[in-house]
Amino acid sequence: MNIELTISGNIAAMKIDGILNSENAHVLQEKLSEVMQSEAKVLELDLLDCRNISSTGIGKILLFYKDFISKGGDIEVVRSSNSVYELFTMLKLNQLFTVNLG
Amino acid sequence: MGDKARILVVDDSIAIVNSLQSILSISGYHVDTAYNGSDALRKIYKNEYDLVICDIEMPGLTGLEFLGRVRQDFDRSLDVILMTGYLEHDYFIEAIRLGASDFIRKPIDTKQMIHSIQELMFRKGNRDDISGFFASLNKAKFCYEISAQNFTRFNISKVFNAHLRQRFKVNFDVINEVLVCVDEMVYNAFIHGTLGLSVEERALGHNDLQAVINAKLDNPAIHARNLHIGLEIDNTDESIVISVEDEGPGFDFTKWLDTVKSFQMLDIKEHGRGLSLLYHLSDSLEFSNEGRKVTIRKSLLHTGKHEA
Repeated sequence: MNIELTISGNIAAMKIDGILNSENAHVLQEKLSEVMQSEAKVLELDLLDCRNISSTGIGKILLFYKDFISKGGDIEVVRSSNSVYELFTMLKLNQLFTVNLG
Repeated sequence: MGDKARILVVDDSIAIVNSLQSILSISGYHVDTAYNGSDALRKIYKNEYDLVICDIEMPGLTGLEFLGRVRQDFDRSLDVILMTGYLEHDYFIEAIRLGASDFIRKPIDTKQMIHSIQELMFRKGNRDDISGFFASLNKAKFCYEISAQNFTRFNISKVFNAHLRQRFKVNFDVINEVLVCVDEMVYNAFIHGTLGLSVEERALGHNDLQAVINAKLDNPAIHARNLHIGLEIDNTDESIVISVEDEGPGFDFTKWLDTVKSFQMLDIKEHGRGLSLLYHLSDSLEFSNEGRKVTIRKSLLHTGKHEA
């Protein structure tokens, strides 16, 4: 699993590759903390090369989402793999934020 | 190897890709192409290749970064030859550390390249005999027992990934779902069943959580607990059965299972996401031994839930 994060003004762009699971979810948590501490108001998640996410990873995203919207932020999944798109749809996370496929 | 080798050529130079494609095709290999590292990664997760020939100096994901990602998921089972016009010392050390199979110097010496491919394919043929044996079995069963203390030293998903990819020909998308299931099962067995961490403890940052885990493992009762992992592959109906059992107090699984089956929406406060994922990714989900043991069955032919 690999995470690239760039923050420019009020946009944070995060690209996650590989499988996000309980063994590496803390890396995501650290990157999300960076976003939370920045001036960013929008987190753009690129999950095209993210092959799957376990519940621990989803938990980190949801915890971040809760804190981020409370300070006026928003999340958008700008691209996602088929498996992640299906997962987010199945869990109805697309009702919390925009999730784009491909 | 009876079949022609399948080679993926990766270079940001269209001229080099076209040239290598012609040479390798004439030499009898099946050739596919990619013009950057990210595209190449997507291709190797979708298609099966015997070998990748990849340029080191590419914009975006470099050849060394590509090699690092390949080794994370394939260990040594996929050979990667790196190409470079700059034979610098640092490249070699890093490439050897990452597990490059060989180097090709640019401009390319065709004879040397074909010789290198033949050598690697000969070695791969020996490895394929082993995976061929496993693929020919009607059934294969593996049972693992590991102490809680030793469990923390390993990345179990990586172990299973290597085990399944190297020994069995399993679709990548299915493997990804199997790995998520394994992660959910062992995480629950360790965090809940073995350590009995509270909600507050689980929400701690990484370093604080590690400190709590280490302190729990110092408790002789917890230290003595083991984890039992079972893996059964049935090639006759192309399914996999995975079980994970802890030696903790167990839990009332019926309430959780009923919730997961009847209520698919998970909100921020909801617990039981792992169980929900397991239920939706597997074809069957069962608990036994008072909740200490969880077993899933999953088709190796389909992703997601297979509606029989």
